[in-house]
Amino acid sequence: MSPQKVPVEERLFSLVLTLVATESGLTKNEILSSVQGYNSRYRSGGDNSALERQFERDKDDIRELGIPLETVADPGDPGNNQSLRYRIPKAAYDLPGDITFSPEEMALLRLAATVWREGSLSADSRRAIMKLRTLGVEADDPVVGFAPRIRTREAAFEPFEVALERNVVVNFDYLKPGEREPTKRVVEPLALVQFHGRWLLHGHDRGADAPRTFLLARVIGTPRVTQIPFARRGGDHAARALDELQDIWDRNLAELEVAPGTDAWVSLSKREDTRRTDDDHLLVHYSDTALLADELAGYGPEVRVVAPPRLVDAVRQRLLTTLATHGGEDGRD
Amino acid sequence: MTDPTGPRDARDKLALLLSLIPYLMDHESVPVSDAAAAFDVTPKQIRDAVHLIAVSGLPGESRAYLPGDLFDIDWDELEEHDRIALTHTVAIDDTPRLSAREAAALIAGLQYLSSLPEHADRDAMASLMAKLERGTATGAAQVAVAPAALRDTVATVRAAIERGTQLEFDYVSARGASERRVVDPLRIESVNDDWYLRGWCHLRGAVRTFRLDRIDRLVSSGEPISGHGAGVVLPERLFQGSEEDLTVSVDVSAAALPLIADYIPDDADRVREGDTVHTKVRVAHYHGLKRMVARFAGQVTVTAPPDARAAVAEWARAGAARYERYERETS
Repeated sequence: MSPQKVPVEERLFSLVLTLVATESGLTKNEILSSVQGYNSRYRSGGDNSALERQFERDKDDIRELGIPLETVADPGDPGNNQSLRYRIPKAAYDLPGDITFSPEEMALLRLAATVWREGSLSADSRRAIMKLRTLGVEADDPVVGFAPRIRTREAAFEPFEVALERNVVVNFDYLKPGEREPTKRVVEPLALVQFHGRWLLHGHDRGADAPRTFLLARVIGTPRVTQIPFARRGGDHAARALDELQDIWDRNLAELEVAPGTDAWVSLSKREDTRRTDDDHLLVHYSDTALLADELAGYGPEVRVVAPPRLVDAVRQRLLTTLATHGGEDGRD
Repeated sequence: MTDPTGPRDARDKLALLLSLIPYLMDHESVPVSDAAAAFDVTPKQIRDAVHLIAVSGLPGESRAYLPGDLFDIDWDELEEHDRIALTHTVAIDDTPRLSAREAAALIAGLQYLSSLPEHADRDAMASLMAKLERGTATGAAQVAVAPAALRDTVATVRAAIERGTQLEFDYVSARGASERRVVDPLRIESVNDDWYLRGWCHLRGAVRTFRLDRIDRLVSSGEPISGHGAGVVLPERLFQGSEEDLTVSVDVSAAALPLIADYIPDDADRVREGDTVHTKVRVAHYHGLKRMVARFAGQVTVTAPPDARAAVAEWARAGAARYERYERETS
């Protein structure tokens, strides 16, 4: 290591300043030979491949901060990588001047940022607030005694997020609700959404050649982010995925007989959109038969499913399985 | 050799450097402590950043980083009064744009909060999200969160916290018994779709965490809180393990292991045999155990002690019997 090693952030900072200041752009060699952090290790006419790899990683880091680092091809020499020029257009670097926030909005944004208390999005939201703080708006007083939080503890969240941002295919093993063995999936990720407290990946399943939605809690092991790019078609996949999930939720309705005063009653009667029938049955909406069956089987004798029949069968089958695995006779004639 | 600071750390530091410059340009001379408070970092982090800014700039024609091509600060102000005054700037002078993920994190956070009564103005919320989207160079990343399911109880509890008054409600304990509780509410928290009240429980004489969806017949009594909870530091973990917790042995299918990870103590062995993992789970009472095991039919099996196995079997038998009884009665 050279004695006057420059910290990473100093090299990145110098690179940003230099690329903002240039209008026509600089070639890679011009950058490596002049910018602080590269220049002392640059060998004119020699092998700079290690330095070039570092430059590639630095470009990714800078872009991930939202800084528009552009590549401009030389019109007289297209296709020649050595003549590519790099720059950061000032107008695309600056936050548009008409974007301002009121003190109430600033307080709301700060609360929205604190929602992420763990995982990679908490670093992202912290940096966003840091940038917006420079607009000089004082936030209204924070709300006391109120700490809403979104959890992203599933191991699959971060790899999916990376694949989503890079627009590359992701591979993973998936245990579909109601099945016992995981299957291998190859998916073009389109959106990460949270619905009724569960994180889901919406994407195009290459094996099925169809759109699919996967529960992150059901991903086995760590997904593998490939370098295989894909063409993303259409926009606003996240909003569309949430709309579709809401449609399914609205369509699926189960009728349950629930013993009053039990855990099951307290929890199911307070479930979102639950209604009571005239004979005190509960009508509950749900996303997935196997997932609801798991939950209802947990309530044991506190719940009897009245309808639909496939949910009746699923819950009953689960209870008989549990009975059999715990030494009881399975009760069937 | 790997860099000790790591890339994520370096990105955070770069974001601070780029944000500090427009902030300092707006403040002719600002105490280090004010800047630290504004950016929620330590005074040392601010001083380090300012030292770095003061020696940074452009290579210039000569590629020698000459003084005119560098930022400069009033060094006397910094060293004698711990105040920052930028005296020369180069290249950048404005707030940087948000990254796709930064904007997405704030937008998804706003979506989550959008069901709060005070944010019911959908147009105002939509315009705020649109501004964030416009504040990026490439558009926000595709991450979205459905609005939190806010029940009436949330509003009642929040109002009581703000007024500093007591709450009364029925609560089903971990052992299954329902009791009337009187609680000084301290904080309302959520994790995704689950909401919790943390407060001083008069019945237990201690700080307790209550799931809002298990609270029934909630009444705001209007009595001022007792002050027992004042100064209590709420632990980050919602639920603390108890000395009285029960530990039972289970066989878990390897694929289902992550689904019950919350119940497995950190120090428990996990012995894999084929597709099965032998391990232990900790529960407050069989009341909770039988429910948890019955949710994972065929994937989680209690192996010991025998009375825990019997409790699960009895629970499942009673559940299944409801269908047989019903069939007998209706056939």
